[in-house]
Amino acid sequence: MNLKDCHNFYDFRKLAKKKLPAPIFHYIDGAADDEITYRRNTSAFNEVDLVPNVLKGVEHVDLSTTIFGKKLNLPFYCAPTALQRLFHYDGERAVGKAAKKYNTMFGVSALSTVSVEEISSIIDTPKMFQFYFHKDRGLNDAVLERVKAAKFDVMALTVDTITGGNRERDLRTGFTSPPKLTLSSLFSFAVKPMWGINYLTKGKFELPHLQDYVGEGTSTAVSIGNYFSTMLDQSMNWSDAEKLCSKWGGHFALKGIMSVEDAKRAVDIGCTGIMVSNHGGRQLDGSRAPFDQLAEIVDAVGDKIDVICEGGIQRGTHILKALSMGAKACSGGRLYLYALAAAGQDGVERALNQYRSEIERGMKLMGCTKISDLNRNNLRFRKK
Amino acid sequence: MKLSDCHNFEDFRKLAKKKLPSPIFHYIDGGSDDEITLNRNTSSFNNYDLIPSVLNDVSNVDMSTTVLGEKIDFPLFPAATAMHRLYHHKGERASARATEKMGTIFGTSTMGTVSIEEIAKVNKGPKLFQLYIHKDRGLTDNLIERCKKAGFSSMCLTVDTVVAGNRERDRRTGFTTPPKLTLGSLLSFILHPGWTINNLTHEKFKLANIIHITQKGTSIDKSVIDYINEQFDPAMNWKDAEYCVKKWNGPFALKGVMSVEDAKKAVDIGCTAIMISNHGGRQLDGSRAPFDQLAEIVDAVGDKIEVILDGGIRRGTHVLKALCLGAKACSFGKGYLFALAAGGQKGVEKILENMKTEINRDMKLMGCKNISELNSSKIVFRKS
Ligand SMILES: Cc1cc2nc3c(=O)[nH]c(=O)nc-3n(C[C@H](O)[C@H](O)[C@H](O)COP(=O)(O)O)c2cc1C
Ligand SMILES: Cc1cc2nc3c(=O)[nH]c(=O)nc-3n(C[C@H](O)[C@H](O)[C@H](O)COP(=O)(O)O)c2cc1C
Repeated sequence: MNLKDCHNFYDFRKLAKKKLPAPIFHYIDGAADDEITYRRNTSAFNEVDLVPNVLKGVEHVDLSTTIFGKKLNLPFYCAPTALQRLFHYDGERAVGKAAKKYNTMFGVSALSTVSVEEISSIIDTPKMFQFYFHKDRGLNDAVLERVKAAKFDVMALTVDTITGGNRERDLRTGFTSPPKLTLSSLFSFAVKPMWGINYLTKGKFELPHLQDYVGEGTSTAVSIGNYFSTMLDQSMNWSDAEKLCSKWGGHFALKGIMSVEDAKRAVDIGCTGIMVSNHGGRQLDGSRAPFDQLAEIVDAVGDKIDVICEGGIQRGTHILKALSMGAKACSGGRLYLYALAAAGQDGVERALNQYRSEIERGMKLMGCTKISDLNRNNLRFRKK
Repeated sequence: MKLSDCHNFEDFRKLAKKKLPSPIFHYIDGGSDDEITLNRNTSSFNNYDLIPSVLNDVSNVDMSTTVLGEKIDFPLFPAATAMHRLYHHKGERASARATEKMGTIFGTSTMGTVSIEEIAKVNKGPKLFQLYIHKDRGLTDNLIERCKKAGFSSMCLTVDTVVAGNRERDRRTGFTTPPKLTLGSLLSFILHPGWTINNLTHEKFKLANIIHITQKGTSIDKSVIDYINEQFDPAMNWKDAEYCVKKWNGPFALKGVMSVEDAKKAVDIGCTAIMISNHGGRQLDGSRAPFDQLAEIVDAVGDKIEVILDGGIRRGTHVLKALCLGAKACSFGKGYLFALAAGGQKGVEKILENMKTEINRDMKLMGCKNISELNSSKIVFRKS
């Protein structure tokens, strides 16, 4: 199996599984507890059906949408995810260049393995930085200043990781960052020699946004759960978010909003967007799926703020459903991460193009020529 | 396994699978994307239950109905489908003869492999021609005129195929028309020698209705997806449909209408009927099942236009349920195609006979003497 055999989400996943040492694959692929929320994030889309309109003359379809004041050529973007150089030696460079090629937003994690300065030197297309609120306020200020200086367009504060989720697969595989060889993981690293060779020869693994502040992030192996629990500030509250928002002074989003009440408060503190998200099912298992919760939130704040539906997206039609429901755009992690692991920049480009063509085909079959043609009239919930 | 062992849809499907090279079997059997809509088309019937009434003297049951200007013996007919010659060496001749014998409408596709004129020779009963609008508009006029001359009784325009659906099984099997031997498929053709020998020793595969206009479908190896995307006109709109209605000037249906809004427009442009259909789950995955959408459409236009339910029919009771919710008749595709592959003309006769017998038995069990007694008082939605 290689890249040209990848025609959909599951194919990329399969190829990623072949290429990655098991602990790393399961870090991407896994989620919290029994992974019920994780599965629901996708299956939620199957309870609502699209109702097409016909004979609309659909030879030209415009997929662009505007969020955070930026026009994107696609109605979805790459959500910020950590540690991308573990998945492919080009890491964020590969994802950023692919996002640039399709002119969509590139989300960069606080736990990025390539610096914001380097990223902004290689891509001039829209960029979002995802902020983790650390106990060390000096670190917070320093990160904010660097991101500002690097001219990022959007700042997103993640609010759903106040403590680490219970990722049981990582407990079993012994996943740490950087990877530590344990007896049980050794075998897995040994049978994926290409990953190991690339990892060791293509530049040192580091967390450039944290390295001046923490030994842990760089050379000492630390589990991600550990990082969340020891370095992030669990006292973070609305006033901290508000201060950060005004300090940033540009487009600002809260990532991981699930209740109407919080969505309204996000408007109040001056956010210009929210990601309706449960962190891809990786935090609180049993919590509601973004798509299930979307309508309620759009009804409450959709006219005041950009609402982004994030998580569980595996098909172009999932995006069409979220947009019909009133999301301004969608974002996802695994939808490009498996492709990154499978084949670096080429893989991510192929994946983005795959979803692009699924959306375009779906729009034509729906009789829609622009994103704003999609609305709740084209959705029906199955009777229960 | 033989034809005499085929008692229901699943049996015919099984025998077809044995007889056909796998790329061809999967071309019939497959749907788009994750096949969620394909599966829902049939499972949607299971959310509704029939309520019989008893002691009604059902010694004589009249199953006949009038649809598209023709009285037919029972309320089900074969939908127009492409390229019968691939499934059986006698192609549309076999299915057309069988349908005439069983006293219902025969649907034939623009993508047929036996010409309009020849079908008219072998089938003197009611005949429906299914039109695709090609970019070459001269072809539309040509087809309409030929059907008129040949004495077809009705025409339908398929409106759900402005682009090809994402049929991933075809990508994997390398399905092309005519079938091309690839290394991957070779084995499958060798393992189905009966089909292969018949295919090679009988008349050459051709798209008989459009062969004089385009050579594309004849000897060039093309995937159906490429053909649709290159030849069909995505600019097709309501004016074009109205033009066809006028030009045909007889019973006319739009095939693939799913929204109330479009159903009303179909009334406005003078259609006799609409076929509520998602192309058997082969186009937009995640779109609504015809049966789920039926009541809404019947409520809006059921008194002004004939509503035909197309897709997911596997059983006589499915037909009964659709009629209870207000459909005038039903059509089906995969059912009779598997039968065609399984046993040619005899196969198609057998499945139509089976369905007729099931409908007859079920009407008796429902206590209904004729079609008009099937109404909404005889069906309830089961809450899950
Ligand atoms: C491997 C991985 C790493 C992630 N890292 C981060 C992160 O560093 N910061 C963050 O806010 N979200 C992170 N997320 C969550 C994503 O931003 C996003 O919410 C999630 O992937 C959406 O679900 P999906 O994968 O089903 O699309 C991560 C997700 C994955 C799968
Ligand atoms: C193999 C195959 C070929 C088809 N070809 C056509 C076609 O050429 N034109 C068309 O309008 N519909 C075509 N259809 C769709 C059928 O007319 C019909 O809508 C569908 O098969 C109904 O769903 P069912 O198979 O569940 O009964 C095709 C369906 C199948 C299975």
